[in-house]
Amino acid sequence: MFKKFEEKDSISSIQQLKSSVQKGIRAKLLEAYPKLETHIDLILPKKDSYRIAKCHDHIELLLNGAGEQVFFRHRDGPWMPTLRLLHKFPYFVTMEQVDKGAIRFVLSGANVMCPGLTSPGACMTPAEKNTVVAIMAEGKEHALAIGLLTLSTEEILAKNKGIGIETYHFLNDGLWKSKPVK
Amino acid sequence: MTNENISVSTNVAERLKVGIREGVTYPIVMKYCGHCTMPIEYCEYYPEYEKCKEWLERNMPDDFERLKIEEEQAAADGTDDDKKRQKRGGKGLLRVKKKEDVPKRICVSRAARGKKKSVTVVTGLSTFDIDLKVAAKFFGTKFACGSSVTGDDEIVIQGDVKDELFDVIPDKWSEIDEDAIEDLGDQKR
Repeated sequence: MFKKFEEKDSISSIQQLKSSVQKGIRAKLLEAYPKLETHIDLILPKKDSYRIAKCHDHIELLLNGAGEQVFFRHRDGPWMPTLRLLHKFPYFVTMEQVDKGAIRFVLSGANVMCPGLTSPGACMTPAEKNTVVAIMAEGKEHALAIGLLTLSTEEILAKNKGIGIETYHFLNDGLWKSKPVK
Repeated sequence: MTNENISVSTNVAERLKVGIREGVTYPIVMKYCGHCTMPIEYCEYYPEYEKCKEWLERNMPDDFERLKIEEEQAAADGTDDDKKRQKRGGKGLLRVKKKEDVPKRICVSRAARGKKKSVTVVTGLSTFDIDLKVAAKFFGTKFACGSSVTGDDEIVIQGDVKDELFDVIPDKWSEIDEDAIEDLGDQKR
C-alpha cells in the first residue's frame, strides 16, 4: 500500500481534529487494541491535539502532537499502528511469525503466503480473519511488517496455499521513510 | 522485547504472546541502521549490506562486534543453513533507488528590485536536505525582513544580505561548509 507512497506528493491535506473526533478515535483504538490501555497516554496524550493527513488512495494517517505518524488506515478499515510505533510498543498487536525465506519477499512488499506461515520456522498465534497482525520473522526480534489476515489462522493451516496475510506497511516503504509532518 | 539471544525454537509462543512483558520499560528504545534505516537485524536483507556494515562499524562498534561474532558462529556450526530450508522461486530482491548525486552546493546571488532595492536569492539548500520552509522562516527572523520559498529549491530574502549569509548558513547548519557556498554576484531575475 505504501510502496509508492511519497510524503511530498501523496499527502493531499492535513486537518486538525476536533476534540470529539479525537475521543472517538481513541475509543476505537482502545476497542481494537485493549492491551493498549496502559500506554495510550504515552502514544496519544489526552491533552495533545492530533492531526489527520489525508493521502491519495483513501489512506489516512493519524499524526500525534509532534507530527509523527502513529496510526494509519485505508478507507473505513481498522486503524493500524505504524512500524515505528510498533517497535516501541510491540505488545498490543497479534503477532504472526514467518520463516526466514519469506523475509526478503515481505521486505519488498509482497503479501505473506500461507506456506511461509506454516513451515517449521514460522509460528502462528490463533486469530480470526481480518485481524490486524504484526509480521515477525524467524530469528528476528522486531516486527518487519503490518498486515491484515485474509484467512483465519485455522484456514491458513488447512489450505496452505495462496495469500495468508495482506501486507499493508513494511520496513523501508514510503510510510517508513516519511519524516514527521510539521 | 524478550532477552537478546532468543532461541527461537523453544519460546516462540512466549515471544509472540500479546501483552506487556515483565521487566521491559516502554517505549522500547530502538536502534536503527543509519544507512538503510531498518532495525540492525534486518540490514542483511538490504542490497547494500556492505555499506550498512561500514556505518555500523563507525557508529555502533558494540553491535558490530556482536554481529561479527554471530556471523562467525553461524559459519562455524553449519553453513548449510540454506540447504536445509526450502528455496522459493523468484528473485524477491530489494532494489535500491539510486540517489541522484547532485553536487552539494549552495548559490547565493543578489537581484535588483527597482532602482535602489535588491533581494537575495539562495538556491541549493535542499541538496543538504534542509527544510526550505524552516530555512526561509529562519532567514526572515535573523535579518528582520521578508523571506519566502519561491521555487523548488529557491529562497528569496528581501534586502541585500548576501555577505551575512556566508557566516549565518554554516553557523546554523553545521554540515554546510563555508566553501560550499558560492557567490554568483549580481543577477537579473
